[in-house]
Amino acid sequence: MTDWQILWAERGVFVDGFLNTLQLFGLGTVLGFLLGCLIVFGLEGAKAPLRIALRIFIDAMRLLPFLVLAYLFYYGLPSLGIRLSSWEAGVSALVLYHGAYFAEILRGARVTLPPGQVEAAVAQGFSMPRMFLRLILPQLVLKSRGVIGNQLIILLKDTAFLVIITVRELTAAANGLSGTYFIPMQAFIVVIGFYWIISIALEQAVNWMGRSGAKRGFKNA
Amino acid sequence: MDSTAWSMLLNGAWVTLWISGVSIALGVSLGLIIALIRSAKIPFVHQVLGLYISIARATPLVTLVLFIFLSAPTLGINMDRSIAGILALTLNTTAFNAEIWRSAFNNFSNDQREAALAVGMTPGVYFRRIMLPQIVITSLPSLVNEMSFLIKGSPAIAVIGIVDLTRVTNRISAVTYEPLPPILAAGALYMVIIAALVWFQRVAECKANRLAM
Amino acid sequence: MPELPEVSIQKLSKQFDGVEVLRDVSLEVQRGEVVSILGSSGSGKSTLLRCVNWLEQPDGGEIRIAGDRIGVKADGKAMNNRDLAKVRSQLGMVFQSFNLWPHLNVLHNVTEALIHVKGMKKAEAETLADELLAKVGMAEKRSNYPYTLSGGQKQRVAIARALAMQPRVMLFDEPTSALDPELVGEVLAVIRDLSQEGYTMIIVTHEMEFARNVSDQVVFLEKGKIIEKSAPEEFFVHPKTERVRQFLELDEKV
Repeated sequence: MTDWQILWAERGVFVDGFLNTLQLFGLGTVLGFLLGCLIVFGLEGAKAPLRIALRIFIDAMRLLPFLVLAYLFYYGLPSLGIRLSSWEAGVSALVLYHGAYFAEILRGARVTLPPGQVEAAVAQGFSMPRMFLRLILPQLVLKSRGVIGNQLIILLKDTAFLVIITVRELTAAANGLSGTYFIPMQAFIVVIGFYWIISIALEQAVNWMGRSGAKRGFKNA
Repeated sequence: MDSTAWSMLLNGAWVTLWISGVSIALGVSLGLIIALIRSAKIPFVHQVLGLYISIARATPLVTLVLFIFLSAPTLGINMDRSIAGILALTLNTTAFNAEIWRSAFNNFSNDQREAALAVGMTPGVYFRRIMLPQIVITSLPSLVNEMSFLIKGSPAIAVIGIVDLTRVTNRISAVTYEPLPPILAAGALYMVIIAALVWFQRVAECKANRLAM
Repeated sequence: MPELPEVSIQKLSKQFDGVEVLRDVSLEVQRGEVVSILGSSGSGKSTLLRCVNWLEQPDGGEIRIAGDRIGVKADGKAMNNRDLAKVRSQLGMVFQSFNLWPHLNVLHNVTEALIHVKGMKKAEAETLADELLAKVGMAEKRSNYPYTLSGGQKQRVAIARALAMQPRVMLFDEPTSALDPELVGEVLAVIRDLSQEGYTMIIVTHEMEFARNVSDQVVFLEKGKIIEKSAPEEFFVHPKTERVRQFLELDEKV
């Protein structure tokens, strides 16, 4: 059997890893984005102590490598009596870390929004949560879609860090196969190809969003 | 944590800093060279470099480090861990820096080129004396931003056993059985390093804004 | 033997994407002469000026500076960058948008080409630059960076920068068009002084009064062709063509 035939025979390992990476990425994106929106909503209306706490949280995450947060959850929390599986620790770290980045992106867009819009909504009797959800958030997402797209690619790449805390994702699959059959180059070329394809698909999605945003007069950020 | 633990931690920080530093220096210069070659738009070379940039930007650092470190022996190359780490970080950051330089070239005003030609500068003198000094200043904020990204990605080299600021926390807790303090201390050190870069980026932005008249 | 003209333009033509912007343009400028080029926007007057120092390459015709062709070597091949740079250093160009180099202060904007094109020593270059900055009234701002200057000040520095190369001919491409009205005067005053010192100059401008006062020859360009070329008194008082008459009347109304 050639090396490539071995890989084909073991395709199930890749597919499992690929699906697991997609799952991590999907959970990180959806939950992280929700967390980001919640934080921005908090910055919008909350009292000063909460606002300051949220700002400190955002800035702390932006100064920290993702892997250190994953370490904290996987190796550090057990000292406090909280024991997470590597997968749970990985997902929590992804959500918390990228939630902060999403919040920062949306906050940056919020600053550029003219105050007159909020006044117009208040004048029409919108409640604060409804106004945020219906009027502000959609604009923030449209405005910052390019940066959000970049952040999604970073999130995808950060899932690979989780191999270090023993999560069985795509990179772990290549690592395992290359250990078993000693064909690291081929195994990793396949895996890098997978990451590349997802990234290109993400870029295409951002472009597509860009066109639909441009129709509404939102320039690319 | 006792003093041994702290000195181990600082050693780890040093490893992170020197490996990242070498990669940044290489990545900034190689990125410039690639941007220059790409601006000549030589067929084939242009596409190959474009493909490299696209793949390198999409590949996670952990995956790249493992790929290089594990593949080298199959090609008969006996690669040192640190070299593999530097190679991976450099391949990654070069691709991002090449794009930063390229966009600076593309956005540079043609007016200044005309003014330089009009006083009798050759294109070479123009590039060295007028374009490059300004491009360095205008690109610096983005380049420093990329440096922060590289440091935040550098724990990837832990995967091949380099004892950097992240992996050293395992070493310390293997002795102390208390993983939390070293992880928090390492986190704090990372924050100091990256905060310094963020501050430098702000200063660079002020400088760059003055050029943008 | 009669003296060669400083600038001789013969049968120049130029197209942009199939549109003719210059058609069969011929013009001679003698030493010490000031020539103003007028015309509505899009008439090709800036393109003509930019062809003189080869920032635009004409499609036909030739340009000689003191008898030497620019852009094309004696054997008919295109000039290389080094030769082109040499010819260009004899032509001082002043741009509409000043085009100062923002990373250099006022003094170094002037000395940059002296040192790195002419190979002059730094001290010598700075002495010359200080003289020229004094001449344009910018001596006090020698250490300022361009972003701190007004448009009029920037343009005066740009004039000093062009003068520094001791050019045979000065080319002005709408030097006051990007300026606020109250700053136009200070720049025109500098150019007027230069004309009195005997500089050979070609000026593309919209300032009629100014053109009338400083020029020895006025050229009117319309759709890429010279339709009138005469002394300023004749041009402004007894224009030969209906088109120029209209143009001048329109200007008076504004």
